[in-house]
Amino acid sequence: MKLSLNKIMPGILFNALLLLLLVSTNAQAIPAFTRAHKVECSTCHTVYPELNEYGEAFLKSSYVYFGKGGKSAKPKETAPQPAKAAAALKPAASGADIKGAGDADTLNKLKAGAMRATDGSYEETAAVSPPPQTEESHPAKAAGPKAEGLLLAAIPEQLPISFSGSLHGSYNGNAVNEFDFSSRAFKLNAGGNFSDTIGFFGTYLIYTENAANISNTSQTPTNMTQKNDIGELFLIWRHALGTPINLKIGRLQPKLGLWKSNNKLSVTNSLAPYSYTVGQSVFRIEQPQDALEANAVLANRLFLAGGVVNRKHQNAKEGYGHISYKFGGADFNANEPDIDLNKDESIFDFLTVTVGGYGYFGTNGTPNTTAGVSPTQNKFYRTGLDLDLLYKLFRVKLAGVMGRDDNPELSLTKKAVKSYVAAVEGQYSFLQNLIGSLRFEYQDDGRGYVRRYIPTLGYTPLENVKVAVEYKHEIATSYRLTSTSPAQDFTNRIGTLGVTFSF
Amino acid sequence: MKRLLLLTALITLATYSLADARVKVKGRGDKMNFDPESVDASFRPSMDLMSKKCIKCHTMERTVIAIQTGRAPLTGQPFDKQAVKAYGIKMLRKPNSDMNKQEIRELVVLMNYLLDENKR
Repeated sequence: MKLSLNKIMPGILFNALLLLLLVSTNAQAIPAFTRAHKVECSTCHTVYPELNEYGEAFLKSSYVYFGKGGKSAKPKETAPQPAKAAAALKPAASGADIKGAGDADTLNKLKAGAMRATDGSYEETAAVSPPPQTEESHPAKAAGPKAEGLLLAAIPEQLPISFSGSLHGSYNGNAVNEFDFSSRAFKLNAGGNFSDTIGFFGTYLIYTENAANISNTSQTPTNMTQKNDIGELFLIWRHALGTPINLKIGRLQPKLGLWKSNNKLSVTNSLAPYSYTVGQSVFRIEQPQDALEANAVLANRLFLAGGVVNRKHQNAKEGYGHISYKFGGADFNANEPDIDLNKDESIFDFLTVTVGGYGYFGTNGTPNTTAGVSPTQNKFYRTGLDLDLLYKLFRVKLAGVMGRDDNPELSLTKKAVKSYVAAVEGQYSFLQNLIGSLRFEYQDDGRGYVRRYIPTLGYTPLENVKVAVEYKHEIATSYRLTSTSPAQDFTNRIGTLGVTFSF
Repeated sequence: MKRLLLLTALITLATYSLADARVKVKGRGDKMNFDPESVDASFRPSMDLMSKKCIKCHTMERTVIAIQTGRAPLTGQPFDKQAVKAYGIKMLRKPNSDMNKQEIRELVVLMNYLLDENKR
């Protein structure tokens, strides 16, 4: 009896996921922000790398932990070292059970650990109970001049880098090569802050394969420039001159939609309103740009951003703006809502709604900076509206964008194209580390109509390892793959098993 | 001899004072927890609730250290009554925390009691 791979593939995917479910154990994630702040990945993420509201607040705080910032370095402070301190205060503290009654000696060590980790009172607590004089924990090394020197130099004690990799296997019945297990990407990430004053972030795509378009499987992170290159690299001057305004400069994803490109459950499929292109124009909402951006959180719940983009070889400035407001839930500074615990439960105790709107206008095309050469230009704009609704275990994301390009095919005879793209995604948290979602996308990009149905199941057996099973049902109607090709109907059915990990 | 007696009395008093200063703790590492015997009987059900629910996401060691030191051990943020309420609300809203408002209220009251006891 000959088994068809088409029939057994769903079984293989299911069993692979089941195996991962069975062998998994709890563990701590360790990428850069986790290392720096000693918190679990789940502090900021739902199923990594999708952000929860605290992750959004951390992002808006320019990678400075909630409640901090605005203070200059103090000479007496020591850099955070809770990991070492915590290690020292456990069994090493006394080697015996805590006897109750406060067990003064051990509790002093507990305090020493926590205090050293936080407010730099190492000297005082060390006097009460010095840590074991090991090579690593010797005061001269652990919190002595070196740490103070690092602090004064505003250099993070931990090297703020991490790596992430992704491996995908996919099945596409329409492809000549039905099974494709060759998709992988490896990326370096760096991020953090210098003395709570300057935030920084960078990503470098070390290696990737394949590119994404409508006719094949979307395999690689599409926020990248689809080559080995810097994805983002920017600095942020937090609270410039004591104002609420943060100034951001470098290559960055302009703040337009509510979610950054990697802020999603899916490992492969970017949100269509953010990732679609029109004609020959490569512009995407989520595309990193060379930009200067000013943003600010006002009254804790209003976020404003605006910026200027300078496209290479284009002597024309582009501009954008964003506004969003959050109703309910923790605010943009991660302050919890004031819920009266003495009253009965109300729907408003759990309801969080964030609405955002944005606009972008720009010009791209052939260079307009070469003397004597007439450029072919495309002037375009995009305007969009997003909504993020969270209620207990349910989450709904809505995104819609419309745009106009006056010459997206970059031809001598201009032909304007209007585009309308929308997506709605519903999510449900089955477990803290298991989320399912169903997304519908509608795309009218001037070449035809595409509808996509994308169910996804994301699971993190460990906080820094994500397994996602996805299916994309893509129906194209009267779609032209190029401007000159005939319109045709086609359907893609693509299944993907993806694993993403960070360390 | 008088000095010796005085010294002994002082040490005894100091030790007694320390012994009564905090709610007793037993175990170490992941097993660390408040000793239910040292908690007022009216709070025992809340202690049981805390020991069952809170360990779903973190060890009780984290809670004990926060109460004893007045600092959240991972973040270093102050852990006072205001913070306790904020953490309570955060846990109430946290998906899959499996705690309702009534339970959160009980735990907030319990932790306020533990903070008070720790200050004595």
